[in-house]
Amino acid sequence: MKIKYIPVFTDDIEKQVAFFVENMGFEFYGKKSLLPDQESVLIRTNSPDLFIVILMDADKEFGRGRIIVNTHDCLNDYHNLKMAGVVFHNEPHYLPMGLGAEFYDPSGNQYLLIEERSYNNPV
Amino acid sequence: MEYLRTLRNNNVIYSGTRNNFNQQTTSDFSIRFVFSGNERYSIGKRQLSIHTDSFLILNKGTHYTSTVESAIPVQSFGISFDDKFLQDFKNSWRLKDDTLLNLNTYPFINRYEHEFDETIYPFKGDLFFNVNHLKHHIGRGLQDELLINEYLHHCLINYFQIFNEEIFQKAQRLNFLSKSTKIEILRRLNLAKEYLYSNYNTNISLDELAEYACLSVTHLLRTFRQAFHQTPHQFLVQIRLQRAKDLLKNTDYPVNEIVNMVGFDCPSSFIRLFKDRFQVTPMKYRLSF
Repeated sequence: MKIKYIPVFTDDIEKQVAFFVENMGFEFYGKKSLLPDQESVLIRTNSPDLFIVILMDADKEFGRGRIIVNTHDCLNDYHNLKMAGVVFHNEPHYLPMGLGAEFYDPSGNQYLLIEERSYNNPV
Repeated sequence: MEYLRTLRNNNVIYSGTRNNFNQQTTSDFSIRFVFSGNERYSIGKRQLSIHTDSFLILNKGTHYTSTVESAIPVQSFGISFDDKFLQDFKNSWRLKDDTLLNLNTYPFINRYEHEFDETIYPFKGDLFFNVNHLKHHIGRGLQDELLINEYLHHCLINYFQIFNEEIFQKAQRLNFLSKSTKIEILRRLNLAKEYLYSNYNTNISLDELAEYACLSVTHLLRTFRQAFHQTPHQFLVQIRLQRAKDLLKNTDYPVNEIVNMVGFDCPSSFIRLFKDRFQVTPMKYRLSF
């Protein structure tokens, strides 16, 4: 058993697809009916076999989620995402588990870009 | 890879393999690292040696000579910060309420910062990660100065965090009422630490360590334990073990030779101490690479 799809709710699928493809650098994978009577779009992430499912939620019935995106170099990805037009909620800052920065997508879902660091003995 | 990169804002990044004698005066506040081997700096009468587990701060205008004395090639890496960049950084951090550099919490930081900073610090934590990322990117030809300066900005944040941990947090632990006494004692204890960092592989007596630090032996032992929660001997063993670990990982020297190179007398006690600290024997550690 493994996790394969991460649902992301939006009131504008087109805008949300553009965010993932143009800003985040992910790949449009196609449309698929995962749930009955639900329009959904698959986005392939940088991790093999892990997809984002964009689900229509015009009435904002489901609220918005929080996704943690792992990176091996937070400052580099923060810089590149900013250059690609992602608006960050804060600058990279130090957290107990590493260096992180937060941003929102156009639908209000929140993302934490985090570089996990092992401080015990990096050498 | 060898390069000397001067950014448009006059910050300078140097990387190269050193094998010579070098005499210079620093034009700007600099942080010096080595990624292999070790480099010895002479500043006045002080002899400071940096290894892969430590870094050195040089203030603007400091006259120094550096020599390479290592069996393996020494890969040096240095960052010099332009005065304006450094001042802008300090000003921006002073304006933040929740900063690690909160000068209301540490009102004496400005007064003592310059006096204290020119010494050896442990190369650890976020500074380790950020400097490694920076080195990696510039080695691969990164041209984007905005990104390079973002790394440099974070290197300063990380350095001041280490400075805060190593100087002010430790000064708070000393059992003296007067702030100025705490600071003076810590300044001398730091001399003892830099002596241990730089002469770890020799037979150091407590008398010579106390003399270098301008403290009596009793005073040194008592205050060292208060500030660093360990004795000078425990601190020395920790340095020796870390450097033995580095040699095990990066060289082919036999274990017995490494034992001598880092200053231990007896291989069996070295193996026991190594296993106690890293939960693995030296040979198993070497075989894991």
